[in-house]
Amino acid sequence: MRNKVVPLEELGELVRDGETVALGGSWYANHPMAAVRQLIRDGRKDLHAMTIVGSVDVDLLAGAGVIGHLSFSMVTLEAFGLAPNVRRGIESGALGFTEFTGLGLLIGLEAGHRGVPFLPYRGPFGSDIPAQYPEWYSTVACPFTGEELTAVRAINPDVAIVHALRADAEGNAQWDGTSGPDVDMAQAARRVVITCEEVVPRETIVANAHMTKVPGYYVDAVIEAPFGAHPTSHVPVYPLDAWQLMEYAGAASGEGFAGYVDRIRNESEADYRERVLGNGRDRVLRSLVEEARVLEVSEA
Amino acid sequence: MSAQPKADGTTPYELHELMVCRVAAEVDDEGVVVMGSFTPLAYASYMLAKLTHARDVYIVGFDAVGMQPIQLSFTGAEAAVYKGAVCRWGMLEEINSIHLSNNGSVEAVSSAQFDGSGAINLSVIGDFAKPKVRLPGGAGAAEVIKMYRKMVAYFPDHNPRTLVDRVGFVTGTRWKVGAKAREEAGLMPGPIIVVTNLAVLVKDEDERPFRIESLHPGVDAQTVVDATGFELEVPDSIPTTAEPTAEQVRLLREEIDPFGTVKFDFVSGRERLAYLQGILDAEWERAAKAAGVSTS
Repeated sequence: MRNKVVPLEELGELVRDGETVALGGSWYANHPMAAVRQLIRDGRKDLHAMTIVGSVDVDLLAGAGVIGHLSFSMVTLEAFGLAPNVRRGIESGALGFTEFTGLGLLIGLEAGHRGVPFLPYRGPFGSDIPAQYPEWYSTVACPFTGEELTAVRAINPDVAIVHALRADAEGNAQWDGTSGPDVDMAQAARRVVITCEEVVPRETIVANAHMTKVPGYYVDAVIEAPFGAHPTSHVPVYPLDAWQLMEYAGAASGEGFAGYVDRIRNESEADYRERVLGNGRDRVLRSLVEEARVLEVSEA
Repeated sequence: MSAQPKADGTTPYELHELMVCRVAAEVDDEGVVVMGSFTPLAYASYMLAKLTHARDVYIVGFDAVGMQPIQLSFTGAEAAVYKGAVCRWGMLEEINSIHLSNNGSVEAVSSAQFDGSGAINLSVIGDFAKPKVRLPGGAGAAEVIKMYRKMVAYFPDHNPRTLVDRVGFVTGTRWKVGAKAREEAGLMPGPIIVVTNLAVLVKDEDERPFRIESLHPGVDAQTVVDATGFELEVPDSIPTTAEPTAEQVRLLREEIDPFGTVKFDFVSGRERLAYLQGILDAEWERAAKAAGVSTS
């Protein structure tokens, strides 16, 4: 079996300056944050980041000067407000952007996966977004009924980086909680990097084969990155770290953000984990998952 | 925090609880409701409906399909949705199976701007290419608000800067409003309902403006008209919005939202961060205690 496992430090050899990089996860869930931090340490430049619903992942990349263009359907820090670096970048004109509609972006990836030049759907009729991007959105008549449909051009990112629960050396990757757009991005991209909480023997994957969402033939590299989505969540292992996210939102809104980025740039991923998860914080984060409650539905 | 009836037999409640109950009333046993990120008011409304009058509603939260009602928390909501769910999907499966195949029943949204045609703006204030304010973007709302049987827009602060005559940029729109026009376009017929801190507005015909469906207790029609940037139809007689029952208030405070996450969207300015910090402290404390960790 081909061994695709590489250390996180080799990520820089898998992503080249100027490439389009689709980043998995959505909301505050499961963004490939260890990879985001590594791209900063590697000093990558002018990347075109692509996200469906981005948060601290793309905002941090924007603030660290790693990305020159952002494609997205939403970027938000949710309870902590708008994404400060993305907002500043776009408002100042420094960060190029393409605002997709959410379904349009996913259907573009599906077209890319299927190898067709576009796909039609009953699109965002009445929205002002498609007219902004004639290179991505057009209309097409149904050849059978004449109905006018929205056409989205195929999207094939150069690289997709997605974070899984576990993978084996061949790249067979499994999720248990939120996978969001991870599978859709991996299928459409020319190269796929799986980061995962744990690299496991093939037998572990076989024993849970129903959880495999990305089979190894899509995958180019496997990187073990425990807490690799932190400070976003990787359920059921850990939830979002709201306290670290609050610190991020504060730093990104203020003058001290360069220091925040420098600290990440100058520490290893192991140092990062020690800094943010020490003193039992990792155990409390896991406990927050345990304590999350389903309500009893009483019989009427 | 339990709700003791007042001397006149009514139940004391807070405004956000009334809004949750009104949004919940739109949820019925048919179809699927979908929640993405943790938006407390929408989550609370769907949980309340699932626990009371709409026990058969099918709920998707994050990628958890067929989830059970959960207790709301900022850090625990995502983990909780998977604990009672019957299936896990990804985004493309979800949009194909629910949004694009007409299985969506209620879509609850909030936006920076909303207008009298049922359009939302979550994109920009000012020029699109070089905006004054870059807003988060609409995610799937650009398409989804037209596809679902009912669109519910909720606003904790009803004012004419949010409820505007025309949105500055259309991120998404209901597109077809009247039942006939919707059916001809292959969409399920259903209204646009707006639930705010002042009133409930409804629109169910393309050529007719929103009308005031009900006024919250103590609010008069002129206050609503003055706070709304688009034309409103004001019926001669307007009922009062149904107040939460004792059981609804109990469920919200004791079962669904003991940490008080819904109220967060109703706290403004400097108090907002402190309020959030208070909730997070309580969530941390419970988990740290369970883990036997003494940190702060």
